[in-house]
Amino acid sequence: MQNNQGNLWQNVMDQVKTWARVNSPWAIHFNSGSCNGCDIEILATLTPRYDMERFGVKLQGSPRHADILICTGPVTRQARERLIRIYEQMPEPKFVVAVGSCALSGGAFQGCYNVEGGIDQVLPVNAYVPGCPPRPEAIIDGLVKLLQALDNGTMPEPITLKPGVAVPSKSGNPA
Amino acid sequence: MNTLTTIITLLIFPGGLCLLLLGLAYEWVDRKLVARLQNRVGPRWFQPLADTIKLLAKEEVVPENVQARLFTVLPVIALAGALTSALYVPLFGLKPAYSFEGDLIVAIYLLSLLTLCTGLAGANTYNRFSLIGATRTLTQLFSYEAPFLLALFGPAIVAGSWKISEIAGYAESHWLVLTQPVGFIVALIGLMGKLELPPFDAPEAETEIVAGALTEYSGRGLALFHLGKGVELVVGLTLVAAFYLGGVANPLAFFVKTLVILLGLAGLQALFTRLRIEQTVGLWWRYGALLVLVQFLALIVWEGWVA
Repeated sequence: MQNNQGNLWQNVMDQVKTWARVNSPWAIHFNSGSCNGCDIEILATLTPRYDMERFGVKLQGSPRHADILICTGPVTRQARERLIRIYEQMPEPKFVVAVGSCALSGGAFQGCYNVEGGIDQVLPVNAYVPGCPPRPEAIIDGLVKLLQALDNGTMPEPITLKPGVAVPSKSGNPA
Repeated sequence: MNTLTTIITLLIFPGGLCLLLLGLAYEWVDRKLVARLQNRVGPRWFQPLADTIKLLAKEEVVPENVQARLFTVLPVIALAGALTSALYVPLFGLKPAYSFEGDLIVAIYLLSLLTLCTGLAGANTYNRFSLIGATRTLTQLFSYEAPFLLALFGPAIVAGSWKISEIAGYAESHWLVLTQPVGFIVALIGLMGKLELPPFDAPEAETEIVAGALTEYSGRGLALFHLGKGVELVVGLTLVAAFYLGGVANPLAFFVKTLVILLGLAGLQALFTRLRIEQTVGLWWRYGALLVLVQFLALIVWEGWVA
């Protein structure tokens, strides 16, 4: 009986936590070598026309305040350490959204001597938004899908192509 | 029975829980109004609540090279200061929970505690953005505090009392915004400076210095600072409404008058761009302090000769 009540309490707390997380995703934007096309689209997403504050999205300056890391561009060898550092500075639970073809696979810069590849070569990525550059609607769609998955508890395992390179999050699974 | 009433007063109504929720509600009204003025849809009604719960449930990172105990305790002191100051103001149009001669000064001091704690929190962390933010927070504190104080002392001089409840009682029969318009404007803008709202948000300018003094705060600490700011917003609005807009004798008057002031604040936020820190200081000391000082002297002379 006691155990049952404990479980109930735990369930309610978990539901409240998930509700709060889904409804208040604060984002930080990092450009690890993009051509700025995707960055301009992300800025367009934050303008009054699309108004991300409807979903509770706020662009934060500090990684310490953010829940979602929005990455654009391929990871250049120079930006790699900085990207990992930004990711590690974010408190758990944290999610990564890769925006644009280059962030997905390296795109036009694939195979360059100075390019590591897509974001998932370095960080565990939770959502991918394709496009070169993706429209603001696509970015909002990607974000909403991430939040829905978080809400349903169907968050897919973050994909990392090179597990040796990737920085695992503390719990192993950020969801 | 008496103890029970005291506990309810402190923890649930009008202090404590109700005050926190009211702070969150007013924060939402503020954000929604600014959003509508910018032709946006704006946040949903539960947004500040969701933000707070999420922050409370998040990991709290204590960075390297900080005094860990101070880092943990500062947000608590900040929130406690704001909550304590609320005990001396007529919230919800009710009588203040506690009242004594000179509580106006104590309440204003307790309101400043939040800013002081923010400054200390920034100076405590080993981060250049926090340090710049802390410097700017404290610089701004020194620039708006004196004019804001003088603007609230104007009604006190006229009412002949340092007790918030007596000043509010006097203000119910005299709309001091008509007789002391300069004081009202300075108090209003002082409140914006206190809350670091947009024209005066140089201390937390996210386009220059990341997030100012609170850059290194995550999770619980950040949530407590946010809550403290919400409470401070309510207390500040109540003070200005009670002193200048004909008092807050009943709950209806309280909500109508504070929300009207909040509408004004939102309009100013949407209208002006950020001032640089030296422009803020210049504005306060060159115009704000001077104007309110002239009015203050005029009031003293008037009181001395007529009354």
